[in-house]
Amino acid sequence: MSAVLTLDRLSVALKRGRGKPIAVLDDINLTVNAGEMTALVGESGSGKTIASLGVIRLLPRSAKVSGRVILAGTDLTSLTESEMRSVRGRDIGMVFQNPLSALNPTTRVGNQIAEVYRLHTGETDRAARARALDLLGEVGIPEPADRLDDYPHQFSGGMRQRVMIAMALACSPKLLIADEPTTGLDLLVARQILALLSRLRREHRMGVLFITHDLSIVEQHADQVHVLYAGKSVEWGTARSFFAQPRHPYSQALLGAVPRLGQTRLASIPGNLPDPETRPPGCRFAPRCAFREPACETAYPAPETTGGTMFACRRGREINPAAMLDAVLDDPAPIAAPSRGTALEVTRLHVDYERTATSFFQGMIGRKDKMRALSEISFSLGQGECLGIVGQSGSGKSTLGRAVLQMIPYQGHVILNGEAFDTMPRQRRKRARRSIQVVFQDPKESMNPRMRIGDIVAEPLKLAGMRGQRARMAQAAALLDRVGLSERMLNLFPGSVSGGQAQRIAIARALATNPGIIVLDEPTSSLDVSTQALLLNLLKDLARQDGLSYMLISHDIAAVSYMADRIAVLNGGRMVEFGTAQDVLTRPTNAYTRELIAASPHFRTNQPGGPTETMEFNPSTVQPSAV
Amino acid sequence: MSNALGETFHAPGGALRRSAVERAANWLGDRGTLVTGLTLAAIILLFSLIGPYLYTASPYAIHGHHALEAPSTAFPLGTDQIGRDELARLIAGGYATLVVSIPAAILTFLLGITYGLAAALSPSWFDKVLMRVLDAILALPGLVVLIFFSALFTPGNLELILLLGLTSWPGLARIVRNEAIAQRNRDFILATRQFGGGTWYIARAHILRVMAPILVVNATFLVGDSVLALSGLSFLGLGVQPPYTSWGGLLQTGLNLIALDPWWMILPAGLMIFLSIMAANLIGQGLLARFGAAR
Repeated sequence: MSAVLTLDRLSVALKRGRGKPIAVLDDINLTVNAGEMTALVGESGSGKTIASLGVIRLLPRSAKVSGRVILAGTDLTSLTESEMRSVRGRDIGMVFQNPLSALNPTTRVGNQIAEVYRLHTGETDRAARARALDLLGEVGIPEPADRLDDYPHQFSGGMRQRVMIAMALACSPKLLIADEPTTGLDLLVARQILALLSRLRREHRMGVLFITHDLSIVEQHADQVHVLYAGKSVEWGTARSFFAQPRHPYSQALLGAVPRLGQTRLASIPGNLPDPETRPPGCRFAPRCAFREPACETAYPAPETTGGTMFACRRGREINPAAMLDAVLDDPAPIAAPSRGTALEVTRLHVDYERTATSFFQGMIGRKDKMRALSEISFSLGQGECLGIVGQSGSGKSTLGRAVLQMIPYQGHVILNGEAFDTMPRQRRKRARRSIQVVFQDPKESMNPRMRIGDIVAEPLKLAGMRGQRARMAQAAALLDRVGLSERMLNLFPGSVSGGQAQRIAIARALATNPGIIVLDEPTSSLDVSTQALLLNLLKDLARQDGLSYMLISHDIAAVSYMADRIAVLNGGRMVEFGTAQDVLTRPTNAYTRELIAASPHFRTNQPGGPTETMEFNPSTVQPSAV
Repeated sequence: MSNALGETFHAPGGALRRSAVERAANWLGDRGTLVTGLTLAAIILLFSLIGPYLYTASPYAIHGHHALEAPSTAFPLGTDQIGRDELARLIAGGYATLVVSIPAAILTFLLGITYGLAAALSPSWFDKVLMRVLDAILALPGLVVLIFFSALFTPGNLELILLLGLTSWPGLARIVRNEAIAQRNRDFILATRQFGGGTWYIARAHILRVMAPILVVNATFLVGDSVLALSGLSFLGLGVQPPYTSWGGLLQTGLNLIALDPWWMILPAGLMIFLSIMAANLIGQGLLARFGAAR
């Protein structure tokens, strides 16, 4: 196996303002072989993106880089900037997380792909266009000749990412760097993109450096795994040995944090990633590690191995993985008195979206197109029950949440405590709305960035008529305590807390009005895996204590399987499957449901096999999205 | 001149701002821009407001023997064609300019915010009506409207404030509306509605708060625009009326006598107009950079 890329003791230090440089990446050694995929795994703040920027030398000018980056025998750190420019795009292709911002919205995709090719090869326009056409076909865009002259916004998220990949492939690079290419995508689409990358690397004998925070997604595709924590490598080796026997407690916890079918409690990692300025002197994971011993806190452990992976952990040899998992599991809260009334009933719900006029003439005569976003949705939600609403983006699942929350107009009935919202008088309706609360996907977006956290949490109290700033702050502190946060947060602004903390704050605020029902709209999909586990455990505990009912809207079937009692599957605005979680997950009757489940790796055997091809693209079962 | 003037009423980011101010801001850096702007503004304010107490010569006293004299120790900025002390007139003109422009800018500010928020938070049909009305107002060249009304009656300070305030708000209203529309469907607004927050509450507690940086920046720009508009009116003889004077009026008197080359009657007034607009815009730019980093 020949190495395409070798990182030899790569270290990066960044300067923040006028302070002294802070090491964000420390002595990374890593190899990507021709035709293989190396997964660089880490949570936000681990330094994984810094590593990729270090390879292509696009770090800020103030960054101090040491070590070598060897691409097919050439040390990139010794090249001049103009030599480096010709390496980018020609020898190294790049795919980023958000294809919409990486593509130029005003240029036809064919021209964008052709441009890369022309720049590096000096070929004619005609040859470049032919190349672009070939590439679009190769990355699996149906009828590429028709799409060549489309603009980026005319493609769906997954298709856009394929266009990005086509662009990266334009000059047949030796190395492809994919930085979280699947993060914004639905699981089904994400897996198609991974399968595509796997096929391409084998066909072109191209090395792929796949950067991700999600271990589960690379399980079937990566040849090598390299786990980063706070700028240090903690465990690395072949994917086979890594998934068979991860040795580092952090790797263990990361794997345990992904929900699997039938699991009753998720592994979670207490605490937060250390700030780069105040990293512990010894093992950086030590403060959060259940197995730390005094020696861990003084010196960084040397890499060891037991024959499988290499790991940087003093106790990695002795720890029994099963015991390790037990140690990171906390105890669930006891169940309060179970009750089985109906919290909410939805009957024959329809939602239409008015599309604004498609032509000038239509605009003149005031005609509007109606699009049906949801049709014939009926279900009931029991007290203390968690109902999972699953589907792809565009399936109408968020619309359903918003209709239940009375945020958008609908036909049909949403019945709370025996009374339908549409028949309530205005004042009662306003009060009734308070008893259904919402937690959004992006916690920072759901808080006014210019308000203090205390005021944010207390706002519902204020609106409900609670008098006295001091009393409200006391109540806010109590709410924060319920979600495991300290009252010291009261005076902070949302910008200075982590994503996981922000989502807890959003939950605390949702609890302020004592709602019976909370609509959770993708509550964990913007969070790191370990944080997600903590949050799901918290939600579960809150429901047990209070008899809260949830509507959990998610595209992540693994998270839903962990939380939900019953599951409804939406596709193209219709409910295609509805039943107990057990039934839906183990005996799905609908083809679309089966495909969703198949895309989630952990419902298959837990054994790591060799890289297997999952389906790349099967449009037949996916309904065209309604909006 | 009239073209550049007209533009400042409506285009926040007119020709002056894009070129001179931005180049100055680039050269000064974010912090330097703000500090320079604030220093300039302080000097101008002190000059115009404290000046009369420090330099006590009367701006109206006529020294017949000293008409049209170049600067000397007796008259540091010379005299005009009937022998009035130019420095005293420059100070008085500054006072007259600021006492009209700043209240006019405040009036513009309040009108613009109210109209913009009302449009953004109303049902869409009413928003459409308000915006068409706004388009109609914007279609009239601001300077022409100003000239029309100030020609109808002899304007005192109050009338000038009302005139400037009532003709300058549409630009800000549009900015406020567009920004408020961008904010109104954000998740935290939706969450607040779910807690029972009404439209008025949301406008006050959330939208204005989030928009605060943009509003502060625009407020400073409005002061600059207002100084320029008043100077333009006075230059045309429609602003502050004799015997009182403003910087624009001083400039006009000087330019009428340009054949006699009285540079001391033109340069100081022009410089004060330039510096005060520069100060307002530098503060705006400086704040923009500061808030931009925090947003």
